[in-house]
Amino acid sequence: MERTLLCEIVTPERIVYTNEVRMVVAPTIDGEIGILPLHAPLVSALDPGEIRVMHGDDKVEWFAIAGGYIQVHEDKVIILADQAEAASQIDVERAKQALEHTKRLMAELPHEAESEIDQCEADLKWCEMQIKVAEKGH
Amino acid sequence: MPNLRDIKNRIGSVESTRQITRTMEMVATAKIKRAQEKIESARPYALSMMEVLGNVARYAKGAEHPLLEEHPHRLRVVVIAVTSDRGLAGAFNSNILRMTENVIRDETAEGVKVDVIAVGKKAAGYFKYRGIEPIATYRDISDKPTFVDAKSIAAHVIEAYAQEEIDAVYVVFNRFRSVAEQRPEIHQLLPIERRVVEEAAEGSDVRAEYTFEPDAKSVLRRLLPTYVETLVFRALMESAASEHGARRTAMKSATDNASDMIVTLSRSYNRARQAAITNEIAEIVGGAAALEE
Repeated sequence: MERTLLCEIVTPERIVYTNEVRMVVAPTIDGEIGILPLHAPLVSALDPGEIRVMHGDDKVEWFAIAGGYIQVHEDKVIILADQAEAASQIDVERAKQALEHTKRLMAELPHEAESEIDQCEADLKWCEMQIKVAEKGH
Repeated sequence: MPNLRDIKNRIGSVESTRQITRTMEMVATAKIKRAQEKIESARPYALSMMEVLGNVARYAKGAEHPLLEEHPHRLRVVVIAVTSDRGLAGAFNSNILRMTENVIRDETAEGVKVDVIAVGKKAAGYFKYRGIEPIATYRDISDKPTFVDAKSIAAHVIEAYAQEEIDAVYVVFNRFRSVAEQRPEIHQLLPIERRVVEEAAEGSDVRAEYTFEPDAKSVLRRLLPTYVETLVFRALMESAASEHGARRTAMKSATDNASDMIVTLSRSYNRARQAAITNEIAEIVGGAAALEE
């Protein structure tokens, strides 16, 4: 029996994914890393990006995440994401609409509303990420 | 003697009110369940977060972080008041507003300037009426709070605290203890109490030799703001569940009161009807007797 990893992707709102997998690829702030079973204990911050989960039969699942953390310990990978969505669950139409909406919103904001602008930029990134991952993952 | 038709109208109006309160009670009951499930599904993240925080804190021992730092002076504090958008929930909102009001009074007495972040239309309306301008107002999120909302609220205070523009942040919200019990509570959001971090560190597995990317201190620097965001999110979710709980209780007693009222009114109605009939018979008998003579 091949050794596997328990991969868990959780957001503050729900558990997005939990399964036994062969490999997890995650976007840390120092670049992408691949995690296989027997990996040394690790904690790292993640950039917004894509997570790839590979199964024994070479099937790959894609997820979009909006930044977060990863912890690897004893063949258990926990990914704490602000937001996360499986590629198969991403509604591209809706993401595109949200993208347009946020762009319009941002254009109307005054320059001094820094926190709102930051928020909008994060939203934009997240929408773009979802669209990108949805296209790649299918 | 009250008019028969008046009583009949009263009964009709109380009955339709009861219909409304009963429906609201049922809606609230259904919503409590959903809100409770949301709190439950946030637990795995919170637990994992504490685990990661513990591991990081163990390696970054003694690390300084602006969010852990208590300021030597206390000039400005921020209170986040979490209320609902809708009323008819008993003392739900007034408890929060009173508690916030107390904090404002006590702090002001010590020469501290207090700013308010109003969550929910009730808080927004109240502070406007009191002539206090909230530094931020959030409407239409109290029913279904999202983490994005929590992030946005936290963003107002995290940066300001790190820059020492404000010296403490509190959140006032209704804690959901059970379907029948909600309690207004005040929690300190910032500075993050060192105890929390230390306890998390004690719980971490000391046998594991972790590597950190880029390093423990940088991860901690990013993790602590996220921790604050989850605390805000938690408060929003607790408040949402409490709101439905409070509304259910309020509507249940309104429904019960309406039922009692209908019983009393029906009794007066029957008594009045009886009196009218007796009166009529007496008149008929009187009339017949007059004819016989």
